[in-house]
Formats: sequence, C-alpha cells, structure tokens
Amino acid sequence: MEQRSPLLPALGFIAPVQLFVGIIIFIPALYVFWLSLTESSFGQAPVFVGLANYGRVLADAYFWKALANTVIVVLIVVHVELLLGLGMALLFASGVPFRPLLLAAVLAPYAVSEVSAVVMWRFLFDPEVGFATQALAALGLPPLEWAVVPWQGLLLVSMLSIWLHLPFTFVILYAARLAIPGELYEAAQMDGASHFARFRRVTLPLLVPAMLIAMLFRYIFAFRLFSEVWLLTGGGPARQTEVLAVYLYLEAFRYNAFGDAAATGWLLVVASLVLALWYLRRLYKEMFATYAP
Amino acid sequence: MRRNPLLIALKGLAILVVLAWSLIPIAMIMLSSFKTDRDIFAVPPRLAFQPTWTNYVALWERWGDFFHGLLNSLIVTAGATIVAVLASAVAGYAYSRFRHKVLAGSAFFLIFIRLIPPIVITLPLFPAVNWLGLNDTHFILIILYATFFVSLGTLVMRTFIDQIPKEIDEAAHLDGASRLQVLYKLILPLSAQGMVAVAVFVIVYAWNEFLFAFIFTTTRAKTAPLVLSEMIGAVEGVEWGVLFAASTVQLLPVLIFVVLAQKHLVAGLTAGSTKG
Repeated sequence: MEQRSPLLPALGFIAPVQLFVGIIIFIPALYVFWLSLTESSFGQAPVFVGLANYGRVLADAYFWKALANTVIVVLIVVHVELLLGLGMALLFASGVPFRPLLLAAVLAPYAVSEVSAVVMWRFLFDPEVGFATQALAALGLPPLEWAVVPWQGLLLVSMLSIWLHLPFTFVILYAARLAIPGELYEAAQMDGASHFARFRRVTLPLLVPAMLIAMLFRYIFAFRLFSEVWLLTGGGPARQTEVLAVYLYLEAFRYNAFGDAAATGWLLVVASLVLALWYLRRLYKEMFATYAP
Repeated sequence: MRRNPLLIALKGLAILVVLAWSLIPIAMIMLSSFKTDRDIFAVPPRLAFQPTWTNYVALWERWGDFFHGLLNSLIVTAGATIVAVLASAVAGYAYSRFRHKVLAGSAFFLIFIRLIPPIVITLPLFPAVNWLGLNDTHFILIILYATFFVSLGTLVMRTFIDQIPKEIDEAAHLDGASRLQVLYKLILPLSAQGMVAVAVFVIVYAWNEFLFAFIFTTTRAKTAPLVLSEMIGAVEGVEWGVLFAASTVQLLPVLIFVVLAQKHLVAGLTAGSTKG
C-alpha cells in the first residue's frame, strides 16, 4: 500500500472527472442559488430581491399541489418497489428454473426509455381498447380515467415508474441476498428455526443495509420525476398532476419566471440533501477512513 | 427440504406473474407494430393476426425525422460512452492507488454531486449554452450525458481496479515503467470488465434520455426519444401503429444489448451502489 502518495499525479488523473462535475453541475447549482435571490427573465439583467422568490413560490397553491403529488408518488413508488423487489429477490434466491432467461426478462424494463414506457402504458390503459382496461372490465371494474381524474393519472404515473425502476431495486436486493453465506441458514436450520424465523432472524437483518441503500437512491431519483408525468399528463388536467420538476420546468420555460424556478430548484436540492443526510455522513467518514487514515 | 406441491404451484404462479409484469408491455407494442389498425383496435385483443410491414413503411415514408433522430442518438451515445468510460477509468485508477486527504474530499464531492437533480442545472445552463452557440449540437448532449455518469463510473472503476493486486503495479514500477505506462498497459486492460460495466450504464442512459434532449435540442441534434415524444403529441390516438413501429425500432437494439450484457449490468449496479 502506498501511504501518503504524491498528490500531483493523482490530481492529474482525477482532473477530467472533477472538471466535468464541477463546471457542469456544481457551479451551475451555486449559480441557481444566486438566481433564486434575483428577479430575472430572458435577456434582462438580474436584480437582487432577497427571499421574495421563495416567498412567492411558497405562497403558490400550485407549488404545494406539486409538492404533495411528488411526495405521494415517491412514497408509493419507492415502497412498492422495495416490497416487490424483495419478494422477487427471495423468489430468485430460492431457486428458479431457467434462471438466466428469467433474469433477462426481469431486467428488460431497464432497457426501455421513459418515452416508450409511456407509449406502452398509455396504450395498456387506453379507455377503449387497452388490454388492461379490458382486463378490468372483465373483472367488472371501470376503466382507469388517467387523463381526466388527477389521482388516477398519478396512479398510472406511479405504476409506470415502478415498472421502469423495479430492475434496479431488484438487482441491489438480489445481489445482497446472494451475498449472505449459506452456512448461516444451515446453522439456523440446525437450531430448529422455521422458514419464517429464518427469514426474520437471518435474511431480513442482513438485507437491511442493502434495502436502505436501494431506498435512498430511489428516493433521490424518484424525487426528480419529470418525463413520465410530462409525457403522460403534461401536469394536467388543470395543473392537478404536476410534480415539482414539472412545476419548475413550466415556471422557467413557459411562464418565464426564472427566479421562481430557481427558488423551486434550490428547494429541490435542499430536500435531496436532507433526504440523504444520513448517507452523506456515513460516506464522509468512510472516504476519510479510506484515503486519509 | 420437503417439496410441498402447494408451495411449488405458488412459486410457479409467482414466476408467471413476474414474467407477465415485465414482458407484456414490451411484447404488446412489438407485436402490435406488425398489426393493421383494425387488428390494433380489435376488442378483445387478437393474438393471431396477419403480420404486416405497413407501419414500418409508413414510418419510413413519413417520419424521416425519426431515422435522423436514431443517427443522432447513435452519435451522442457513442461520444458520451467513450468520454465517460475513459474519464472514469483514469479517475478510478487514482482513487484505487493513491491516498491523500484531498482525494478523500474530492471522492466525497463526486458522490455528493449526484444528489443535485439534473433539471435544476438546466436553468443556468440553458442561457449559457445558447450564448456559446452550443444548443442543438451533439457536443452539448455528449458532455451532459458523460458528466452525469462519471460519478457512478468512477466508483465502479475504483471497485474493479481495487481487485487488481497492487504488487503488479509495484513490479512494473521497479522495472522502470511510469505511472501512465502502468495505467495504459496494465490497469486499463485488466479492468476491461469494469469499463464494460460503466459503458452499459452510459449506453442505456444516453440512448434513452429525454429531459436534456428536450431542453437542449430542437432540430439538428434531436435524438430518437425526442422524436418519439413528438409522435405521441402528434398522433393523439390516430397513428398508434406507426408509433409502435418507431418504439420497437428505438427499443430493440438496447434491449438486446441489455440482455447480452446482463452480467456486466448486475456487476456494475452492485459495485456502484454498495461501495461508497
């Protein structure tokens, strides 16, 4: 192991990556903070207005609607994914026939673009000819009126999102499950532990770290939800299905209110950081333990 | 272990449900892309039908834009993949082999940055990109796509390079090889698997990305997903067949790729999320 290796060559090697994220992400993000404190639109010089933009955004009923929609969709999507992903990981770990083929099938949605996924799910739930609509009708249920009833639109967004991202959650949990040594189960069985007891005392506790990681990543990424909503409902009807990213986009690029959009953006950043605080603290310690012991 | 027939039946059922959930939406549009409008709108849905190429012919004749979009997607995906993989591999080497406080801080920064939502940075980037005359170019999409994957890429590369014994570098150094030579002649070839894993992420992301393409391109550099979204907007329930054909063409290459690169995808996902 090289201790306290020379810094200069290392800096050279990390420079490209650091420059990319610094110039394209970090500096613009800081600039958004400045923008959020100013009044500006295209072609005009920004004027400092303090927290006025935040005040206006926080007083906007559409912002709160978008926030509520985002929180509801994120909570549904992440937790359903976690449950389904866990179930599938345990199913695969218990041994399935044609494992590589099944695995390929389960991973398939990972390859699908948001746009194509919207095409698929829109057609599945087409009010007249959709397969899913017909299946619902066969069960005596009414069609999902996703274009008319806001909560049903959000329900379709959630389903579509779960479908797209389940492969990620599944892979994380499945890999973690495979990493549990088989001897633990043998020992538990020798002690006479039932199926359920083995699940509760061995599998579940050892999967908790992976579940937390999968959940955290999905919280952060689901929070950015934009394309699915934009392409499915466009935030309508009557702005009732907007999520925060759609609200931000409309403020900036349709209503030309860059200050309000920037304030919304900075609120998004802060919310993401708060969500990840636990992870960031752990990461910080880990990084310094690895690189500067 | 006892084999309970009820359990086996339940398991079989669970497998069927998982398969149906994952594959029906995909199979549906692929099959329907070979149907005439009459068969597409048949109630109940027809599994047996006379396949036809009419939708593909119509796509070719009326949506030249789409094929231009595919070409743009190809260019942008190739560019972003090369840039992201090389930058990540070089940085991954540094994070695997060097130790310094500055590296700890910068590694933390690299992962911390992943928490910033992409849409937020479009606000200042949009006017800046316009001012630089870079809007609607392949270049800006390549840079953006590469940037959003170098954090994960570096992490994955570090994990893979960590598995290469350090004695190999030390022996090469003793033989008088420079750091750059060690990197190019030893580390990069030995970490090819990691590079493939990073490439899988970037390829799938860049090929499918919508938000940045939507904001930063309009005509010349428009990617395939963007043209697809225009088709959704334009058809409003009329030309489903053509839309299915276009979706199939956009999806098929990356779907085959993901199935073939399955092993690397799983390895990359686990390396990128459990470490750090």
